[in-house]
Amino acid sequence: MDTQQEPRKTFVVPIGPQHPALKEPGHFEITVDGEIVTAATVRLGYVHRGIEKGVEQQNWTQAMYMLERICGICSHVHATAYALGVEALAGVQAPPRAQAIRVLVAELERVHSHLLWLGVAAHEGGFDTLFMYSWRDREMIMDVLEGLTGNRVNYSCNVLGGVKFDVDDTHADAIRRAIDFLEPRTHHYLKVVTTDETLIGRTRNVGTMTSLEAETLGTVGPTARASGVPRDIRVDAPYAAYPDFPVKTITATAGDLEAKFVVRIQELFESYRVIREILDKLPAGDLAVRMKPRIPPGETVSRVEAPRGELFYFLKSAGGLNPDRVKVRTPSLCNWGSVLATAPGHKLADVPMLIAGIDPCFSCNDRLVTVRRRSTAETWTWAKLRQYGIEYYR
Amino acid sequence: MRIGAMLGDISRSLFKRPVTERYPFERKATPERLRGQLTFDPAKCTGCKICVRDCPAHGIEIMVVDKVAKRFVMRFHTDRCTYCAQCVVSCKFDALGMSHEQWELAALSKEAFFVSFGREEDIQALLTQVTCTPGVAPVGPVAPATT
Repeated sequence: MDTQQEPRKTFVVPIGPQHPALKEPGHFEITVDGEIVTAATVRLGYVHRGIEKGVEQQNWTQAMYMLERICGICSHVHATAYALGVEALAGVQAPPRAQAIRVLVAELERVHSHLLWLGVAAHEGGFDTLFMYSWRDREMIMDVLEGLTGNRVNYSCNVLGGVKFDVDDTHADAIRRAIDFLEPRTHHYLKVVTTDETLIGRTRNVGTMTSLEAETLGTVGPTARASGVPRDIRVDAPYAAYPDFPVKTITATAGDLEAKFVVRIQELFESYRVIREILDKLPAGDLAVRMKPRIPPGETVSRVEAPRGELFYFLKSAGGLNPDRVKVRTPSLCNWGSVLATAPGHKLADVPMLIAGIDPCFSCNDRLVTVRRRSTAETWTWAKLRQYGIEYYR
Repeated sequence: MRIGAMLGDISRSLFKRPVTERYPFERKATPERLRGQLTFDPAKCTGCKICVRDCPAHGIEIMVVDKVAKRFVMRFHTDRCTYCAQCVVSCKFDALGMSHEQWELAALSKEAFFVSFGREEDIQALLTQVTCTPGVAPVGPVAPATT
C-alpha cells in the first residue's frame, strides 16, 4: 500500500479574453481548489488602441477629442484633465463660469457612472431588478446631459480655454427636476443594498480589504474610500471650481463589497448637493478664453478625480503645434491589485462580483510598454504601431 | 434584513406604462443643442480653414472657388464626423452650425455620407476636377512615416 500522499492538484480556470461574462476583453487565470480560489492573475492589453501615440500626431485641439474617447463612461474627466493641463502649460486660466460648468458636467457624469455601476454590480450579483431600475433612472441623467451638451456619451463640453456651452435657466430647471427625482430613488437604493438579504449574501464580508491593504496596494477612488482611505483629488488637490464648491470625502470602514456599494451611493448624495450648489451660485462671466495654437515648451501633471478614482495626465510640450508626449494613467489600473489580493479564499462564484467591485474599465487602462534594450532601441511611429497592432491580431 | 426589497417597485410598475420609447414609430423632439449634421453658410465663410485644421476626424474639406465672390464648396463626411462641434466653436464667422433636426444619418451606401455645400455649378465643376469621386473618399489621413 502506497502511503505516500500525492501532491494536491489544483485546477486553473481560464476566463477570457473572450468570455460571455466579460463586457470587455481581459484574461484571468483563477487557480481553484474545489470551489475555493487559491490564486488569481490578470493579463490586460487586449484592447490597446495606441491613443497616447496617436495624439502626438494631432494638434493640441484635436488631441482632446481622441483623449476624450479613452473612456466611454467618464469621457468628460479625460477632456477636463487634458484641458487643465494644457491651460497650465500655456499659462492661461479658464474663466470661473467655465470652471463651474466643467465641475457641473463632471458631477452629472459621476452620477450617471455610479448609477451605471450600481446596475452592473447588481447584475453580476444576480439582482437584475436593481439593474433594470437603476438604469432606468440613469436615463434621466443621460437626457439631462444630452439636453445640456448635445450628446449622450462624449459630451465634448470642453474646449481649450473653457467650455462650449452655457447653462441657462431651462437647463438648470431640467437638472434640478432630474436631481429631485433621483434623490429619493437613491435613498431607496441605499436601503435596498443594505437590507436586501439576497444582495447582502453576495456582498457582506466579501472581498474585505483593510485600510492598510488598500494603502499598500495603491488603490484609488471609491475602492480605497470603502476601506477607509480618504483619498479624493477633489479634496486633496482641488482643481477647476472645486476650491469654490468643496466636496466631502465619503469613506466607509468595512472594506467589503457592501461598503463599496454604500460609498458610491453616498457619493451620489454629495454630487446632488454640489450640482444644486453650482446651479444656485453659477459665477457670471465668459465661457472661454482664446488660446494660441502653439503651446510653450514645458511639462505638467494634471490630476482629476474620475468616478473610478484618480486620473493622471502627464503632458509635455516642445513648443510646437502637437503634444510631445501625453501619458495617461487611468484609475482602473491602480485597482486591479485589490481584486487579485482579495480573491483567494473566496468561492469562484464571487470572482465576477469582486471584479465588478472596482468598476473596471478595461480598454481605458490598456497601455503599451516596450522594454527598450540599448542595442535594439528604436522609435515607433504611429503607422508602425498601427501595423504592429494589425499583425498582432492576424 | 429582508427578502425582496424591490418587490414594491415591481408591483407598482405593473400599473405603469412602459418607459421604453417606441422609436421609430414615435419620435421624441430632439433637444435644441443636439449635434446632428453640419450646416454651412458660404456667405459668412472667409476660407480661413481653421475648421479643417481643428477637426479631429478630418471630416471637413473646404475648397475656395472665388474668395471675393464668396464662392466656397464645403465637403462634409458624415461618416468620419465625431459630432464634437469643435469646428462650430473654431469658426469665428458663424459660417458653421449643427442641425438638431438632421440626425438620422445612417445609410446603406457610402455616397450618402458625402455631403457637399455650395453653389451647384461649383460643386459639379470641382467634382469633375478632383480625382476623388463622391462616395470613394480618400483614405483617412494617417500621419506620414518619419523613420
